[in-house]
Amino acid sequence: MLGRDAKVASSARRAGQRGLRCAGIAALVPPVGRSLPWGVLGAAAGLGPVLGWFTRLTQEGVGTALAVFLLRVAAVGLALGLAFLLDDPARDTTAVVPIRRVVRSGVRLVLVAPLAASSWAAALLLVPERIRPPAGDLTLEAAALVVLALSGAACAVRFSDTPRPGVAVAGTLLTCTLLATLLPTSGALFVQADAASWAVAHQRWAALLTLALLAGAALQSEPVRKHRLRLEDTHRSAARAAHR
Amino acid sequence: MTTRPTVSGSGLTVRYGGSPALDNVSVRLQEGVTGLLGPNGAGKTTLLRVLATAVPPDRGAFTVLGHDPGTGAGRQEVRRRLGYLPQNPGFHPDFTAFAFVDYVAILKEFADRSARHREVRRVLDAVNLSEVRGKRIKRLSGGMRQRVALAAALLGDPGLLLLDEPTVGLDPEQRMQFREVIAEAGRHRTVLLSTHQTEDVAMLCQRVIVMAQGHVRFEGTPAELTARAAGRVWSSTERDPQARAGWRTGLGTFRNVGDPPQGADLLEPTLEDGYLLALDAQSVEAMSA
Repeated sequence: MLGRDAKVASSARRAGQRGLRCAGIAALVPPVGRSLPWGVLGAAAGLGPVLGWFTRLTQEGVGTALAVFLLRVAAVGLALGLAFLLDDPARDTTAVVPIRRVVRSGVRLVLVAPLAASSWAAALLLVPERIRPPAGDLTLEAAALVVLALSGAACAVRFSDTPRPGVAVAGTLLTCTLLATLLPTSGALFVQADAASWAVAHQRWAALLTLALLAGAALQSEPVRKHRLRLEDTHRSAARAAHR
Repeated sequence: MTTRPTVSGSGLTVRYGGSPALDNVSVRLQEGVTGLLGPNGAGKTTLLRVLATAVPPDRGAFTVLGHDPGTGAGRQEVRRRLGYLPQNPGFHPDFTAFAFVDYVAILKEFADRSARHREVRRVLDAVNLSEVRGKRIKRLSGGMRQRVALAAALLGDPGLLLLDEPTVGLDPEQRMQFREVIAEAGRHRTVLLSTHQTEDVAMLCQRVIVMAQGHVRFEGTPAELTARAAGRVWSSTERDPQARAGWRTGLGTFRNVGDPPQGADLLEPTLEDGYLLALDAQSVEAMSA
């Protein structure tokens, strides 16, 4: 019975390969969309606007400092939620499919990007203009935190077998963020909007974002061997021997 | 004339931390069902994960269906042509059986919707799940979930099917159904079946590999493995302390496996006896090392 429709299988595959580039990725969108952890993502995205709206209740004078604090909490909350983006209970079952990991992760990212962006934009816009801190700089902070979370999740997917790395990644990110608030002034990341070191701190955030982006991109690769350079010759000669 | 092997590998070594999970293993698989026996920690799952391209080996190389997974392009080709049922398959519990297998089909590059759906129906039919294809996975029994994962592995009529302990946790009836599907699958493709169940091997497999501590301890036919125990299984009223393994049977006598004493009441060996002796040989080696 299994062999009866082998032609059906192969013709389906050929059709699939021809239209793979676009149709394959488009076909992935609905099931991947259904499989995302929308509960935690929605909670994280909802936190920003709530905190943004909360700044409207603040008194003049302390408003900007509090707005910076609340927006940073919103950014951390958003990043913690996105740490769960690559959680996939079916990871073992879909571990060895031809569609590359970068495509699978990319589809997930594209699906949540509008939600994350609109959440952050709403949080910023809800802060009254008179107390709104520099939006670009705080967006840089939020972007760095989000990319750190995503890179952490990518790292867990690459180096562990756990299908749900989100809790561990979020916990690590939260710990690192809390530790970062203890950094000395010379290396501080979280500084007040009126501090002289604001610009320098945001150069550090930019560097952190760049590093996290590079790490995240590098972690999307799926190595075909563990020690490529050292074992190149051994591998090739063994492959030839195996062919013989 | 010799048939080209589906899988051919040599020197396969995988280390976790300092200890080898696979140590210089050579493997050669051809069409039919090959059983992979061994105790926990023998390296069975690691070997399957290596052959499935889930884990690259630290050393050694192999080919699958003529492709070298040591290159990016080769690995893609291998992944297009193999089916892999992991030890603990995971699912999206809110998906229906059909939707989940359809999702895996998309990941296996079946982009054309109608052709893909035909293929999904075909594999669900092959594992006798057509009637529950609209049911959510969280509402299916453990055996049915295993069959959903097997259906996903069968997508695309793969030339190589790697099954990691597929019958664990199944009741006898479910195991029988699984055996039927695996036997059918092995009629025109290569199946490597990792299992603890010597019965599964005896009933299904044309060849058997016994692994222990990352090494291959035996490779041959089930009959050859059974024959290794010929003259080395005997019955006694008490457990023979010289036996390498022994247990009380339902008849109240002891079945001993090892080197029998003079005049022992020899019994007909089974595959399990041969397996125990293959394992025991390596244990002795390990102790003396």
